[in-house]
Amino acid sequence: MSLCISYDSTFDGFLSVVFEVYRQRLDVGDIRPDRDAAGASVDIFQQPFRIETDQESARRLKRAVINAAGEDVLQTLNAAFRSEEAGIEMKIFAYLQRLFSGVDKNFARNPASNEMLPLFQIARAVRREAGGMLGLVRFSKTSDGTYFSEIEPKYDVLDLMVGHFRGRFAGERWAIYDSKRKYGVYYDGHSASEVFIPNLEAVTAETPPDTITQLWKDYYNAISIKERENPRLLRRCLPVHYWKHLPERQSVRQVV
Amino acid sequence: MDVRDKLNILAAAAKYDVSCSSSGSNRPAMKGGLGNGCSAGICHTWSSDGRCISLLKVLLSNACKYDCAYCVNRRSNDVPRATFTPKELIDLTLEFYRRNYIEGLFLSSAVIGTPDYTMELLIKVAKELRTVHRFGGYIHLKSIPGASSRLLHEAGLYADRSSVNIEIPSDKALQYLAPEKNHASILRPMNYLAERKIEYKADKSRFSPRFLPAGQSTQMIVGASGETDFQILTLSSGFYKQQQMKRVYFSGYVPINADKRLPVITTKPPLVREHRLYQADWLMRFYKFQYDEILDEQHPNLDLELDPKIAWALRHPEMFPIDIQTADYEMLLRVPGIGVKSAQLIAASRRYSKIRLETLKKMGVVMKRAKYFIYHPDTPASLRRLYPEMIRQQLIVHPKPQQLDLFDSANTLVLPAPESSTTFALPIPAASAASSSNLFISKSA
Repeated sequence: MSLCISYDSTFDGFLSVVFEVYRQRLDVGDIRPDRDAAGASVDIFQQPFRIETDQESARRLKRAVINAAGEDVLQTLNAAFRSEEAGIEMKIFAYLQRLFSGVDKNFARNPASNEMLPLFQIARAVRREAGGMLGLVRFSKTSDGTYFSEIEPKYDVLDLMVGHFRGRFAGERWAIYDSKRKYGVYYDGHSASEVFIPNLEAVTAETPPDTITQLWKDYYNAISIKERENPRLLRRCLPVHYWKHLPERQSVRQVV
Repeated sequence: MDVRDKLNILAAAAKYDVSCSSSGSNRPAMKGGLGNGCSAGICHTWSSDGRCISLLKVLLSNACKYDCAYCVNRRSNDVPRATFTPKELIDLTLEFYRRNYIEGLFLSSAVIGTPDYTMELLIKVAKELRTVHRFGGYIHLKSIPGASSRLLHEAGLYADRSSVNIEIPSDKALQYLAPEKNHASILRPMNYLAERKIEYKADKSRFSPRFLPAGQSTQMIVGASGETDFQILTLSSGFYKQQQMKRVYFSGYVPINADKRLPVITTKPPLVREHRLYQADWLMRFYKFQYDEILDEQHPNLDLELDPKIAWALRHPEMFPIDIQTADYEMLLRVPGIGVKSAQLIAASRRYSKIRLETLKKMGVVMKRAKYFIYHPDTPASLRRLYPEMIRQQLIVHPKPQQLDLFDSANTLVLPAPESSTTFALPIPAASAASSSNLFISKSA
């Protein structure tokens, strides 16, 4: 009977799963993150199995991937993993299996193989969103001078964005909170750390729209050329699901 | 007048400037300062006309002493006038920047007093941002035509990008529409800045100051005077080569002023033509095309029904179909339906394995267009030669047919007017390019 393996939804956790699969020669049916555990259906022909995260085995597997394929491939796998797409674990596992089988020496760095191409495209989408989100973060100022922003990206890209903001606002205190995944990053002027906010409403209530936000909305409306209005192009460049946290699109959102 | 009113007036006055890019500068954050450059550029939002907003694009003042026919801020227009003080503008920029609304400042101005006086005001804002507030974000400064070299040079030390708009592609039409301007007065600051940039670049020292790290850009209005697309592309190709321009922008003429020298006020902006010109511009910048390959004396205007890459491919049936396994990277780029990313992916992966058609599709190649132009073991025998006149019709994107409303008398039974019959193009590319050329050229020219 093949196993339905559950793990703690982290990348290191997933790598530990793969490591254990090889070490114990497990028969893998499916790999499922805890994040989906609540609503997921149970396959009665698979036996549930739990593997805990082990940093050491994750580190060893990373080293093995770098040796066999290269640093950039590991980065691609990590980016693809961040998509949190259903079944992404089995796709990455399929790639790793073929990579370590050593059957085809041209396999490791071929971006167009059957196993790699979907991962490559997903990773591209994730990196694209991470780049795009850099512009879509909107800070508002709390009473103690901290700049706070709430985001809901489609993929788990917050970690990929932190470096950018740390360089840019090195002297400020700021926090970005991913309210979809319920975690955030707080930067205190020296270093960034992961934070959880139990009561999000209390924080957002403290940052009401101020005059600067109003000026920004005015600017936004003044800069568009009425004769060239193009709602389809707007939605293609700036999909509607991002509008929720953009003050300049807020008044329009109710209408649409 | 408070800041809010000024912002409304001066942002609306700046909206016809197309440039919004914040790319090309990787200025590091200053110690104890705020902000840095991101060389890829970051879009912060998109306005309802679908254009990206990445900079706070405002005029310092719109009280202009010139009277250019096409401009919204010309002296003879009855519009509200306003002028920012440098402090208001600096505070606004910093507050917007801290909230991550913008990537930096795009500062332009109408000419107030003399060009030198205007330029000094612009520099004052940029200098104070850089030196007092240690602002590392993007600054795009307009060079005012007629400003002295000393001021242009100083502006280059604080700004990331500078631009002078050429406005009208031909000198004669420019002097007709804007009596105070001519091409020579616009090219002078461009050339001066391009030369200074080369000088600064030659100095390899780590401590040499940055001079316009993101280079220069310019903009021209399309459809206000009677130039052909070939003239426009020749001019912009010259800018890329000689002035080392980073971007040339096109702005489809939006009629704002009733003036007998311009197309009538009801003219629609030539959006399709503008789009085709940008496509041609992309071919020159990213696809290694030369301007005289895209158009020539015989085909002076871009085909409005087909994008310029397909038009080029259909004029060169002898080059196609190409073998996807062995063709040069430059040739892959020229296949309609294959973009830069898929061409790179093909070139990277074909060393390891044969590429099949279904893989091409998964790579993101648009097979609908590419299938006519590539040769491949999977290609059906019927598609192994290119017949331009046959596939032209299949490559034109037709608008979706719409169900007419039976009871709406205003919209039913509309026959095409005689002038618009030019859009029913003949299947021969040359003839259709020539016939569609009249579409957007003004009647007054």
